[in-house]
Amino acid sequence: MSDMTLLALHGLAVKKAGSAQDVAAVLGRGEDEVAPALDEAVGAGQAIGAKGTYMLTPAGRSWLDERYPEAYAELRGDAEATAAYERFERVNRELLALFTDWQMMPSAGGERVQNDHSDADYDHGVIDRLGAQHERAEKILGRFAELEPRLAVYTRRLDEAYDKVLAGEHDYVSGARIDSYHTVWFELHEDLLRMLGREREEAP
Amino acid sequence: MTTVGEHVVVLDGTSAADREVVGNKGLSIARMVGLGLTVPPAFALPIDECRRFNAAGGTLGDDVWRAVLSGVAGLEERTDRRLGDPERPLLVSVRSAGAVSMPGMMDTILNLGMTDDVEAGMARLSGDPGFARSTHVRFIHEFGNTVFGADLDEPREDETAEQARAAVREDTGEEVPREPHEQLRAAIHAVFGSWSSRRAKAYRRHWGIPDDGGTAAIVQAMVFGNLGGESGTGVLFTRNPLSGDAQPYGEWLPGGQGEDVVSGTHDCLPLTALHGQLPDAHDTLLEAGRLLERSNGDVQDIEFTIERGRLYLLQTRAAKRAPLAAVRTAVDLATEGAIERREALRRVSPEQLATVLAPRLSPEVAAAAEVVASGIPACPGVASGTAVADADAAEAHDGDSVLVRPTTSPEDVAGMIAATAVVTERGGATSHAAVVTRALGRPSVVGVGEGATGPLAGRELTVDGTAGVVYDGRLPTQEVRPADVDGLEELLSWAREVAPVEVADAAPDVLDLDAEGLHADPEAAPDAVALTARMRGAGAVQGTVLATPEGARAALAAGVRTIVALPGQQPAALLLALVQEMTDPQEEKIP
Repeated sequence: MSDMTLLALHGLAVKKAGSAQDVAAVLGRGEDEVAPALDEAVGAGQAIGAKGTYMLTPAGRSWLDERYPEAYAELRGDAEATAAYERFERVNRELLALFTDWQMMPSAGGERVQNDHSDADYDHGVIDRLGAQHERAEKILGRFAELEPRLAVYTRRLDEAYDKVLAGEHDYVSGARIDSYHTVWFELHEDLLRMLGREREEAP
Repeated sequence: MTTVGEHVVVLDGTSAADREVVGNKGLSIARMVGLGLTVPPAFALPIDECRRFNAAGGTLGDDVWRAVLSGVAGLEERTDRRLGDPERPLLVSVRSAGAVSMPGMMDTILNLGMTDDVEAGMARLSGDPGFARSTHVRFIHEFGNTVFGADLDEPREDETAEQARAAVREDTGEEVPREPHEQLRAAIHAVFGSWSSRRAKAYRRHWGIPDDGGTAAIVQAMVFGNLGGESGTGVLFTRNPLSGDAQPYGEWLPGGQGEDVVSGTHDCLPLTALHGQLPDAHDTLLEAGRLLERSNGDVQDIEFTIERGRLYLLQTRAAKRAPLAAVRTAVDLATEGAIERREALRRVSPEQLATVLAPRLSPEVAAAAEVVASGIPACPGVASGTAVADADAAEAHDGDSVLVRPTTSPEDVAGMIAATAVVTERGGATSHAAVVTRALGRPSVVGVGEGATGPLAGRELTVDGTAGVVYDGRLPTQEVRPADVDGLEELLSWAREVAPVEVADAAPDVLDLDAEGLHADPEAAPDAVALTARMRGAGAVQGTVLATPEGARAALAAGVRTIVALPGQQPAALLLALVQEMTDPQEEKIP
């Protein structure tokens, strides 16, 4: 098994299901490198592929889980990575609260009502908070990218989502079907959790 | 407005304020003062000073600084307090105030003027050393974050000012000034500098806003609800924001300060308690509320503080309201003559109307049904289906399914799209499941408890995402008619009076736009020209696209006379959307 297989399966695990192009985008690699590795994994029973869409098999998942501790031993033992991850978790909490505020706005009596985006000042406030968190996230990703250069691709993807939000494409805050800030952030979180061997903390 | 050496505008209501000079927040303060209401004294460095500051490469002229000092002297005189004086300390807030709101502008800095001596003085004055210390620590954090761009943890309970300064130093290499005037100067620099922040520039580039504008800086005296007796803080809504009932509604926290009310960490009392404790201040507050509501033509949400028996209004804005209250207050305000009927029709969004009229469980049905799980309501609405335990099963399931999971992750999104509702064991209102279901409009209940979803798989369930309850079986939902909603029939009759189009349940010779392939597409905006051309000459039309703004506009342009509501489309919401499209709210400015 090549390192590319490990990486491709890791990308597929982050994405859950997707084309070679989707997985390559998560990894920041060329589709021409990722596609053969995915096909090889299909041959080895670690993934299934139909109509250009791949998914991990349970065997592929176990294989991956067994490989993580060794593959990322250095990262897992790195104090710098641990510190960066703790900062990441803090930004994560802020972002999750912000996504909620984006979708549900507080009204009187502590009740929340669906945000119909008719209050431009309120939306601006949330987008402003997103900008502040984005700047914090950039710093943290910068530290991660020094340890694992591949992660720099998330900075670019988050930038793209944030840029679209600034330009008024408000679906890119938390839309579920597109590469919104929330979608990319969640993939990044999943990526870090898998590499670092941590469990997801559910938000309050 | 009084000006001091032309560089500073005192917001004392002596003449009309200009948004282009003192920004939105400066204007709001000046308007309240102009109405004769008591607001903590404030002055503004006008937007022009920001232009000069940036043109001069980020420096404040000596003449400007002298004007700021005389502005501060004015605040000291009017409050009988002094910046840095431990016996009678003046603390101020500093904030940016643009003529248009824009991301990237500096956040507010509160409690500026805090020093070690002032902390000791406030500890004596309030009899609460913990409060004085935490005010000082919060100031240092806020200053470090907004002025130096520090990224600090939330202050610890027992953190001291020295420790907070050290944390800022460690993170940024910068020293938070210990002298109040230096603090003020740095804060004004930060406000003016934020005009050129990366985010603000990016925003202006996207929207074609010229870079040569600026923001005003507002410096305002702070008042305290926790220094001495007959003090406290609270919030007044001029009408009930949940029901729309025309009765003032609010909360009062004796001895409370600042964020205490909004943060929800304290138990607040109703307004009647204020009436009992400080009847004069209570009456003055309600009178101020009536005045502001009349002047602004909308229900107001007013933050206030009472310092030693004296009422100060801190902020007023149009109140957020529940959908039910939006309908009722719009109709009431028009009936009272405070706003035009056409304006009332703009005060309710089609989405609010759709929420008000959404089918729900009747209390009787809910009471008789077996509750199989309950948790945190994450996305409102009611839906039924067969419970499936994983996302693949939801995708494969024929018919309605309810996805029940310990928790959800990005791997489950496809299944969440396929399901009619979602239930999770772990997580709260900000969890992945909550965020995603709200984006998809799927009713959801989260945090029903460890292991609670396992036994549900395969059962028929009804999920009430409004109440946070999951019921056994597929329960019948209840229609809500316009007559059931206070004021709605009246509002709809006004809409029908102005609408050139009728919305009906059925009509002869209906042109079906969906059958023509002209359906609503979430990925792409409809082609308005093609839609208009197709509808021209048709008497009655129906289609999913008519629920979009482009569709409504095209129907109006084509001169359609009747729109037939599809099952699932709310006729009332369609009608309101048409009327709003017709009156083009973009052109109108609500003052």
